[in-house]
Parts: sequence; structure tokens; C-alpha cells
Amino acid sequence: MENRHQHFLLTALLAATALPAAAQEPGEVYTPSTERREIHTPGIDTENVEVGVALGMLAIQDFASEPTYGVRAAWHLSERFFFEGSYGAAKADLTSYEKISGGPPLFTDEERDYSYYNLAVGWNVLPGEIYFSEKRSFKSDLYLIGGVGGTDFLGDNWFTATAGIGYRLLLNDSIALRMDVRDHIYDREVFGEEETTHNIEWTAGITFFF
Amino acid sequence: MPGFRIPLVLLTLALLMPLSPRADESVRSTVVEAYAEMRTQPGRTYPVFYVAERGETLELLKQRTDWVKVRNYRGIEGWVHVDEIGQMVDASGELLGVHSPNREAYHNRRWEAGLMIGDFDSTDALSAYGAWQFTRNLSVEAAYTENFGEFSDGKMLTASLVHQMFPQARYSPFFTVGGGMRQTNPRSTLVETEDRNDAVANVGAGLRVYLGSRFILRLQYKHYVTMTDRDDDEEAGEWKIGISTFF
Repeated sequence: MENRHQHFLLTALLAATALPAAAQEPGEVYTPSTERREIHTPGIDTENVEVGVALGMLAIQDFASEPTYGVRAAWHLSERFFFEGSYGAAKADLTSYEKISGGPPLFTDEERDYSYYNLAVGWNVLPGEIYFSEKRSFKSDLYLIGGVGGTDFLGDNWFTATAGIGYRLLLNDSIALRMDVRDHIYDREVFGEEETTHNIEWTAGITFFF
Repeated sequence: MPGFRIPLVLLTLALLMPLSPRADESVRSTVVEAYAEMRTQPGRTYPVFYVAERGETLELLKQRTDWVKVRNYRGIEGWVHVDEIGQMVDASGELLGVHSPNREAYHNRRWEAGLMIGDFDSTDALSAYGAWQFTRNLSVEAAYTENFGEFSDGKMLTASLVHQMFPQARYSPFFTVGGGMRQTNPRSTLVETEDRNDAVANVGAGLRVYLGSRFILRLQYKHYVTMTDRDDDEEAGEWKIGISTFF
């Protein structure tokens, strides 16, 4: 039975590999129909991926504002839209109640580790150009971003919606400075009843296109 | 036999890597239309600051989304839309023929990737997936799904085979079957229970709608069976909506 599956899979894979191989035979390489299927210009470097780091502050509801750091990777689909994945982490301190009451802590140290990820769609709503001097100008984008993800905090994983606004200033074609303000919204039921929490994060970052 | 599988898979993947037959050529192009407009930055909203004339040769430097950065013989650099680049010819006088993503490119897509949100068994769920279209009708997909329930949250990694009946249609329905693994983590506020790992199988149907440019709207329903260690298997329905892209 297993052999039959392998036979089937290998045949399917061979059939699939035969297609691109056939397109490479001499005489067929230069037919326009095969050329025009290429989406990007052959031999041209496409730079649609933007990867970088972000540093800033995260205001955790019912806790204090804490330093946060994260990594972000975006994929630019058109001049207006991009997909972006983010991961960030912070460390929460005592709640205000714990500080004032002086009682034993409500959560373990490990439970205070805050981390989140989200997958978002960004929209460059106001593309711009900054005129720094007579000879130098920089591209800029003001973008809106919205997405969903998860937050791992206080021992559980919470479904999180993220919405924000950001600004990207390209120093050249490959390096950009970014500023972001994002609200991470999730329902939490740690203190007995379910409540919607808003966790505002602002970050500054640097990204690279390649 | 198992020892051969990994090298075999790697070899197959290596063979499948798209080969550009002219990777080291055609970084130059010549304008044959009346003119080509160069903009200051990659985008329709940016001003045209230079117009390359017919017969002018441009060096193609890099591409970002639908824009190609070019340099002319005097060292002037600007961004030209890929559709205009497609109207230029290379050194051998042949049209470059490139263009921004359109419906034809969509039908000839090899790869698809997207984000989806929805409802898995009455809980919030999200997923990210990637697909490889290996014939007009068939594709294989890998998806990561996470759902967040009142009593537990789950992570799921699945692989599926997807069949579309009418690949040429703008509204294209599909059927899918697949399987994978699911990890269930009970909420910490509940009585201590162990995380569980179970195999899952699913069957589903959906619709892809080509929105234009590089975007696809995707709607789907999947029915999951989780094969637990307990007496009964768990069944769950999942609705999702998402935005996808292709290349």
C-alpha cells in the first residue's frame, strides 16, 4: 500500500518536474508566450520584502507601561498594499493592586512574560515625498494597518485584533525608518470576569528592503 | 528507503526552482514606443520628472512592486511602470513583454499565499497558508491555524489537496481534502488538564474570487474530525474568509 502511494507521488512529482524542463528545450526558450508569463522582469532584482526590528513602549492594561521589542516582516504586494507579520515581547511588572496592597503577588514571574504575534494587511493611504534639500528627497508612506493574532500573557493565549497607524521614511531604496502606534485589543478573563483590554504600543524601528 | 526520501524531496524542490533562462542578460532595454515616463518614486502618485525618448536605452536596476528603477545614459535615475517596460525591447530587438499582474497571470499562478479569519467550532480562528499550484486544477496547501476558545485554544498544522473545477473562472469554486496535527491547550483558569496532540482530517469546499491586480478573496468551509484518544472523535465546522495573493 505504502509502495503504491510512493509510486503515485513520485509519478506526480516527475510529471510536474517534466513541465519546466520541457520549456527549456532549445528553440522554445525564446517563444514570446513562455516569456510573457514571467511577472517580473527577468534578470532584475525584485525588492518587495521589508524586514526589520522595532523598539518602544507597550502600555499593558492593568499593569504598567513596559519597554517592548519586536521583529517585523512585510511583503509589498502593490504600491498601496502589503502583508505584514509581527512578533513582539515585553515583561509586565506588578499590577497597581499588588503594589498598593503589599500582599503576595497574583502571578508568577513566567506568567508576566508578554508576547504577541499578528498577521496584518497594511494600506499606504498617504504616499509622500519629503524634500530634505534641493538635491535630496525621500519617499515616505503614512499607512493604516489592521490584523489579527494571538497574545500569550498570564498563562493563556488570547485572540487579539490589532489596529494602528504608521509612518515609513525611506532613507534610500533599501533602508527605512518607521514609527508605529498600534492598539492590541483582546478579551481577557483573568480577574474573574471577561473584559476587553486595550494595549497601546508605540515603536520606532528600522527596516531593510530586499 | 526512508533514508532516500529527504534527499529525493530536496532534489525535487531544486528541480522545481524557477529558472530564468536569461538571468544574466537583458538588464538593458530600449524605448520603442513614443516615450517612457520616469517618476521620482515608485508610485502612480509621484510626479513624472523625465521622459525617455524613442531609441533611448535604459539600464534596468531593480523592481519594487509594479515599478522598475532605471538609469539612462546620462545617469538620470527614475521609476518606470512595469507595463511601460514591457513595451520596450531588449538588445536582440525582442519585446520584453512584462506586465503588472493581471488575470492571465492569476490563471498561470504557481504560488498562492494568504491570511484568513473566521470561526472554528464557535471560537475565533485565524490562519495563514501557502499553496503550490502544480496543474491548472490541482494545488497542495500547507496551513497554520490557531483558534481561541472559552475552554481551550488550539494550534493546527494541516496539508491539503485542493481541486478547482473551473480554473478559468473569475469566481472559482474548489473542493479540498487534507489532514494534519492539532494541539489543544486547555485554559489555565480551568482544572489542570494536559495539552493534547491529535491527528485531524478535514474535507471542505470554498470559492476563490479574483479581485484584480495581485489579490484574491477566498471563502471556505471545512469540516474537521479530530481523532482523540477518548471514546469519541470530535467534529468541528470551520468558516473562513481571507485575502490572498499569488505569484
